[in-house]
Amino acid sequence: MSVRKELDCLVVGGGTFGTALASLLRSMGKRVRLWVRREEQAAEINREHTNGRYLPGLALPDTLEASTDLAGLVPGTPLVLMAVPSRSFREVARQVGDHLEGDQIVVHTTKGFEIETFRRMSQILREETCTLKIGAFSGPNLALEIMKGHPAGATLASCYGEVVDSVQGLFRGGRMRVYGSQDVVGTEMAGAFKNIIALAAGISDGMGFGDNTKALLLTRGLSEMARVGVAAGGDVFTFSGLAGFGDLMATCASPLSRNHQVGTRLAQEEPLNAILQSMNQVAEGVPTTEAVHRYALARGLDLPIVRAMHGILFEGLKVADALLQLMAIPVGDELSALRYR
Amino acid sequence: MREADKERVVVEVVQRVFERCNRDPGTVEQALFDTFYEEGRRLETEKDRPAARKQAARYQKAYQEAVRASPDRQRELLKRVIQGFAEEVAGHFDPRIYALSTRVVPPALTVLLNTLSPLRLLGVFPGGLGTLEDQVVIQGETDAFRAVARQGTTVLVSTHCSHMDSILLGYSVFRLGLPPYTYGAGLNLFHHKLLGFFMHNLGAYKVDRRKKAWVYKDVLKTYAGCTMELGYHNMFFPGGTRSRSGAVESRLKMGLLGMGLDAYVHNLVAGKERPDIFVVPCTINYQLVLEAETLIDDYLKEVGKSRYIIEDDEFSRIDRVLDFVRKLFTLNSRIQVVISRPLDVFGNRVDDEGRSLDRRGREVDRKKYVCRDGVPVSDPQRDHEYTRELARSVMESFQRDTVVNSTNLLSRSVFGWLRTRNRDQDLYRLLRTGGTEESVPLKDVYRRVERDREVLRAREGKGDLRLDETVKDKDAVAVVSEALAHLQSYHRTPALVRRGDRLFHKDRNLLYYYQNRLEGFDLPAVEAAP
Repeated sequence: MSVRKELDCLVVGGGTFGTALASLLRSMGKRVRLWVRREEQAAEINREHTNGRYLPGLALPDTLEASTDLAGLVPGTPLVLMAVPSRSFREVARQVGDHLEGDQIVVHTTKGFEIETFRRMSQILREETCTLKIGAFSGPNLALEIMKGHPAGATLASCYGEVVDSVQGLFRGGRMRVYGSQDVVGTEMAGAFKNIIALAAGISDGMGFGDNTKALLLTRGLSEMARVGVAAGGDVFTFSGLAGFGDLMATCASPLSRNHQVGTRLAQEEPLNAILQSMNQVAEGVPTTEAVHRYALARGLDLPIVRAMHGILFEGLKVADALLQLMAIPVGDELSALRYR
Repeated sequence: MREADKERVVVEVVQRVFERCNRDPGTVEQALFDTFYEEGRRLETEKDRPAARKQAARYQKAYQEAVRASPDRQRELLKRVIQGFAEEVAGHFDPRIYALSTRVVPPALTVLLNTLSPLRLLGVFPGGLGTLEDQVVIQGETDAFRAVARQGTTVLVSTHCSHMDSILLGYSVFRLGLPPYTYGAGLNLFHHKLLGFFMHNLGAYKVDRRKKAWVYKDVLKTYAGCTMELGYHNMFFPGGTRSRSGAVESRLKMGLLGMGLDAYVHNLVAGKERPDIFVVPCTINYQLVLEAETLIDDYLKEVGKSRYIIEDDEFSRIDRVLDFVRKLFTLNSRIQVVISRPLDVFGNRVDDEGRSLDRRGREVDRKKYVCRDGVPVSDPQRDHEYTRELARSVMESFQRDTVVNSTNLLSRSVFGWLRTRNRDQDLYRLLRTGGTEESVPLKDVYRRVERDREVLRAREGKGDLRLDETVKDKDAVAVVSEALAHLQSYHRTPALVRRGDRLFHKDRNLLYYYQNRLEGFDLPAVEAAP
């Protein structure tokens, strides 16, 4: 079957970001559909033009249609945008993979790893689908701001020029500027890692610290991000771009960020389980901390902020004690870990 | 290759390479003068040979003309250069010589080697020595290989650590009942006393690794691609050269590997009935490597940057080759050729019916990968990435189908022991001096062999690699005994010698070489104490 022209794009995942992207594209006049897991959610989007669970109080474009039928949506759609959480990514990718063919492009927007395997989402797509033309979309993209139509930018990383061109073409003329990159590894590492720093930034805010503290945290967090990203095969310059520094700025500064919210509540000594149970969205920073900590141990990488966050989240370390530990670490040359790598 | 096809291929190669250069006058000029420059440099190093001096004079004359020539004349000159390269590369196949070599050579070699064997004379083996078939074990996905070879053109890509490899592969495809394969052989093999005759007549095309001009490299690649399009099965070593360190290839040359995809797209565009090209990875696993000493010396000298051409290694000496093959028989040594699951040109596995499967085993319509709006098209950037996917799959196959031999395991154990005892010495110093102790207690070696073997067995259970039957089934004493028999007998200096309950390390470079085969398998650090 050749690629059909009815749809420009399919967004897989009716969570906050998937819905925001689909809404943005639909409002630009693109022929886009949204795949959601539950029939009730699809019905709500189609009839009420809302997605109350994830974007309460916000109206979606009247013409945005949702469906639960992957078999009807995937075949022939030239571009599939995957916007599902990392923990269910493999399962959904496999379902999508049942209907994909080699001429289709798949781009994901998920910022996280598969904890057990430390696989990046593009690796999972490669394992679960036949598609080779894969890309990673990442950057400072808070869903609520996208829904409000604020200008934004993102990085689209793919080894395939055709993938970059397609996604840039899709968003051209709208309020989302998409910059191309070939560094898939760095882009994915940056997108996932910044969630850990967002948790830490939330803690900093929750403890009432000011901008000096946050700037210290962000800068040293960026250094750790680059260290782990380069070790995984990323390009060090990627971390100074939209997917790295840009996303770190947005996530750590904004109270809209889920990870930031988790951090703030942790600082107020709320138990992690209680925080996560009270949220109807996924805070990717929590599983990502686990995955990165394990990876760093295996690779012998020194990542003090990750170590501290792991202690707080999974080892019962008190926030105040973690702070003391971090401040007690001997200081050295600021950039040596990167400059002399 | 049939003579008629040879002419077709040469014409096609010249046409395609010229078209790529003829995009604009600047590219023509660049192609021409780059070639003159590279060829001039090469010939400068060979000026002792009269033929090289003549060729240099011809290039000089052409250069002087080209400097003042019009764009049209430059095009003509370039075409002539390409034509010269293409004719030089083109191979010749004589079916009579193939029939002779396949019928006569293996039995003759067996008889010769049996006669040469002192063990045979001593009657050590009452049942007599084996034949070449016993020593060269072909295993793996042989049925799938034969099946896909009936359905399309196959490209056999192999690991490479010895000049024996091309002979072994030729012998293996013959044993599997497949037609002869086209392959690119280094010019030194054409000059080899024993092999030159066969190289000239059994379909090998000439690869002159001293020629660095990109136009020449383009001719080579295009030649291989054109033969694939015409349905000639090809084989080559995607690592580009013999592994100097002894490790399994972890980097592949993209140029030649990508020609399968190029041929596939051309076949689709031409609407051929059987457009498919299948890539069949293969590993060759020796207990002893003929040229181990030279290769590891070269590796260590250049710290991984190979000199690329070694003209004076063991393979160029018939006495060493005969000694090597004699050892193969007397030690009952096995060379294991493992055929991996065939792949399509995108790196997907292919089943026996020639269908591509994704990693979940779902059938894939491979034609879709190269289609745009339903039409097959070439896209150099996309196709380069597809070839990287293929390279990754080939390297995964190489790893999975590498056979760990007793020589690899014992070398790793002894070398690991040395590193543990000499932590203060860097690699090169340890290799040179051997560290503080000249021998290793056998009991320590047994313990290390046992430990590593357990890890290897677990990895084999997961399908990550293969184990030779001795490593798999016998105890540490038998593993060490078999490995010692090999390591102390063939090489000029024995790598290890047993005296009493200790092993004396005589050639650390060889130990390093044989243990390097296990690099990249994520085993416990070699320095780890047992």
